[in-house]
Formats: sequence, structure tokens, C-alpha cells
Amino acid sequence: MSLGVRGLHAGYGRLAVLHGIDLTAGEGELVAVIGANGAGKSTLLRALSGLLPLTSGTVHLAGTDVTGYGPEKLARTGLAHVPENRLVFPSLSVADNLVLGGYTRRRGPAAARKEARDRAMALFPRLEPRLEQAAGTLSGGEQQMLAIARGLMAQPRVLVLDEPSVGLAPRLVGEIFSALGQLRDDGLTLVVVEQNARAAFAVADRVSVMDRGRVVLEGDPAALSTDPRVAGGFLGGGFAADADAGADAAGAATPGVASGATRATERT
Amino acid sequence: MTDLLQLLFAGLSQGAVYALVAIGFVAIFTVSGVINLAQGEFAALAGLVAISAVGSGLPLLAAVVLAVVSVALVAVIMERLVIFPVKRMTTLVSLILTLGVSTGLKALMLLVYGPNAEGLTPLTPGGFSLGGVSIRYQELWILLIAGVVSLAVYWFYERTLAGKSLRACAEQPVAARLVGISLTKASLLSFLIAGTVGAIAGVLASPLYFTSWESGLTLGLKGFVAATLGGLISVRGAVLGGLLLGVLETLTAGYISTGLRDAVAFLLLIIVLVARPAGIFGRTAEARV
Repeated sequence: MSLGVRGLHAGYGRLAVLHGIDLTAGEGELVAVIGANGAGKSTLLRALSGLLPLTSGTVHLAGTDVTGYGPEKLARTGLAHVPENRLVFPSLSVADNLVLGGYTRRRGPAAARKEARDRAMALFPRLEPRLEQAAGTLSGGEQQMLAIARGLMAQPRVLVLDEPSVGLAPRLVGEIFSALGQLRDDGLTLVVVEQNARAAFAVADRVSVMDRGRVVLEGDPAALSTDPRVAGGFLGGGFAADADAGADAAGAATPGVASGATRATERT
Repeated sequence: MTDLLQLLFAGLSQGAVYALVAIGFVAIFTVSGVINLAQGEFAALAGLVAISAVGSGLPLLAAVVLAVVSVALVAVIMERLVIFPVKRMTTLVSLILTLGVSTGLKALMLLVYGPNAEGLTPLTPGGFSLGGVSIRYQELWILLIAGVVSLAVYWFYERTLAGKSLRACAEQPVAARLVGISLTKASLLSFLIAGTVGAIAGVLASPLYFTSWESGLTLGLKGFVAATLGGLISVRGAVLGGLLLGVLETLTAGYISTGLRDAVAFLLLIIVLVARPAGIFGRTAEARV
């Protein structure tokens, strides 16, 4: 098990947001966490990566108890967090953003840093011609790619992503998610928090549905996508709206994760 | 014409000192949003330490190094004692805290070094005349060293990993933490830079402009104005702002009245804050996040 969360409670001051979250992600598994706005998804990721102190509960990362670690130490231990809204360093070049992504590995072997960079470039070849450009001048989709690539530069065991699809055109969402599927196929563990349930169902191995600070449903995407509770209540209508948007929504949500990822590519 | 050249030259060397003080403001403000009102005291303290070290028989260069190192240390200790423990730093809190440090340092300097203004021995005494413009060697030293230090700071932010990590903290503190950069270490490093650069300004300025326990006030305010001209977030802007301020001051003193000299800085500050709050060299889009 690469990531194990047990009974996690967290919140902002006196406001409790998470009420005992259990979440596991095995090695090479892509787990999607979906839920409506305000379900606590982002708070969960902030707590996971140490930005928000836990009230109680434990977090294990690749066999190490990392409960209470701050973000710097967690990054060193092997958790990379791709934040909501990308948060690239706008005035720094794309290349410098990548270099800073590998900040915790700065004293590690140069070969490993180069390998991480080559892999990130192979995954997002679009970034290659933009290396010398200021990151703030990239399009939204390219910034998302850069944010993921920056996360990969930390040579993580587990990559957690906060709403990678937000504000992107459907074609780009497909591209991003097929990249995530590829990373999973290469053996990386991923946890993706998403409001775009369709995109998440298409590539996820397992899905957790959050509502008001709790995981209310858990299972494989094929079973959950037909669950009326998912389409109805917990996603605030988001899933249904997606289904209306395109006939292939149901197709994308069918079982067979690898094929889901492929389909996402084909749609582009 | 000779008058103008003379004023321009004097203005540039004065401005180079402002530029160094201004870099200190920028270094700290970009990383933590702290406006360090003790920045001028760094310069004054360095001047006084160097003067008293020379007075007690130390060679000039050794005294200068001692002054710079001890002020850098003071800056680092200040960060740990006053800035680091504050959980939620706002600009207002930082102003109050650093004003306290500034007042404390002034009192300490008055106690230890007494009330008199003195000048450090110049690196090279004397001067020469070039086409009617009289140039002191110390002014050349100021321009040379301030130039080298500014370039070094600029190079540090643009080319080194540590420098880039400081810029990352300034632009996206959350993302900086997520890639593993420690904001508290970054803040410490920014104070180290500000202390060092401020101290260099102090020892450079002392032979020409004299140093007393209270000379940090004017120097700090001028440096702050220079930094604000560049929007408080740009090293290049701070340097240009410092030079511009120095030249405007000597031109005002030369052509209008010496009494108006110190008013120039504040007039400029008001104009900039009203008309271009992002600084005259800053682009509005570069706002600190």
C-alpha cells in the first residue's frame, strides 16, 4: 500500500471539515475522489500534504508513518501535490519551474533528476518548445501540464492532484487524464480529486465519493457510475450534466480502465 | 555644463548607496511581505562598528569585513527572534515589529557609540579633477562596489537554485512549500541578504556622508522610497530607483535649494503611490501574490 489514511479529522480552526476519512491507494493504483463543491475534497488533499494540520487520524506513505509531517518533509518522503489552480511560478521560466519541482532532490544524483525530467517531457512534449518561456505566459492547459511535470520532478511515490480538469477545454481534460493513466501504468500511485466525474471515472481504478466531509461510497467506477446516488445526490447534479453533454459519457465510464484512458485520448 | 556633470556624478554615487539599502527592502518584502523598518539601522550599525574597529587599531579592510559580518548576524538574529515566531504576519504587524527593532538598535548604538557623527576612513583618500568635475576616490569605490554587489544579487536571484527558490516563495508561497521549499528558511536567507547588503551600504557611505546612531532613519527612508519606485518587488527597480532618487536629490540641492534636498524623496514617494502604486519601473501585473 502506497498511501493509507485512517480516521482522518481536520478542519480550519474550530470548523471541522473532515470527519474520519479512510482512504487507501495501492502501488500503481489511480484512485479518484469525487464529490460536490464543499464536500471537503481539497481539504483532504491539503491535510494529506501537510498544509493543514490533522486533528486526528494517521497517514502512511510507502510504509512510513508520516502523520504530522509538514509539506517540506512530505515532499522529501515521496508525496507530490499538484495544487488546485496549478500555482506555477509565473515569472520563472518553464525550465526553472521544473528545476524547483526537483528541489527536494537537489542533493540527489543528477542522473535521477535528468531521468525525471526526460519522463516529464515525454509525457508532455508540448512543454519542450516552451522551456525558456515564463510560466505565466502558458495557456491554462499547458500550466496544468507544467504543474504535473513539476510534481513529477520530485520523483514521488505518490502523486496527488487537486482538480486538474478545472477550467480546461474537454479536449485538454482528455489529454491530461490520459497522461495520468500513463503514469499509473508506469507504476506511480495517484490520487485525483475531481469535480469532473466523467473524466475521473474514465481512468480511475477505484472511486471514493465524498459528501460533507465523509466518504459515503467507495468502489470500482463501473459499479458506481450506474449508482443512482452518485448521479443524483452526491455530485450536485454534476454527473448528470456531464452525461447530457455527450453521448460517449456512458462509454467513457465503462469498466476496463486502460481502455478508458485510451478512449480519452481518442476523443481529442 | 560642468555643474550639471558634477551634480550628476555626486547624485549617482549617493544613489548607489540608496540602491543597496533598497535591495535590502526588496529582498525581505518579496519573500515574507515584511517591510523592514530597521533596514537603515543595518547600514548605520555597520558604519559605527567599522569606525570603532578602526579606532581600536584594526586595519580598514578587516574592520569593514567585521562590520558586514556582524550586521548580517544581527539581521539573522532579528529574523529568528522577531519575525519567525509570528504565526500570521501582516504588513501592519511587520511595520510595528520592525519599528520596535529599529528603535531598539538606535538606542543601543547611542549607548555604545555615543551621540557624535563620525566618518569612516575612506578606502582611498583624496580625489582628482576631470574636466572641472571633482571626483573623490571613495565615490568611485561606492559606484564600483555597489555595482558589483547589485549584479551579484541579481545573478543570485536569476541563476542560482537558492535565488530561484526565494522567488518561488515570493510568487506562490503554497506551491513553494509543496515542492519542499521551507518558507522559514527562505525568510532567514532574505534577512541575511538584506543585512549584508545594508551593511555594505553603511560602510561605503560612512566616509562621505558620516554615520551616527540616528543616520539610519534618513538612509532607511530614502532606501524605502527607492525600493517603492521599483514596486518593492524588483531588484532592478530598486537599483534604478536608488540612482534616480540620488540624482534628483543633488539636482534639487544644486539648482533649487539645499534645504529641499530631503523633501525630494517624499514628494517622489507621494507622486508614485498616487499615480503608479506598482512602481514606475514595475509592471502592474507583477503584484505580489
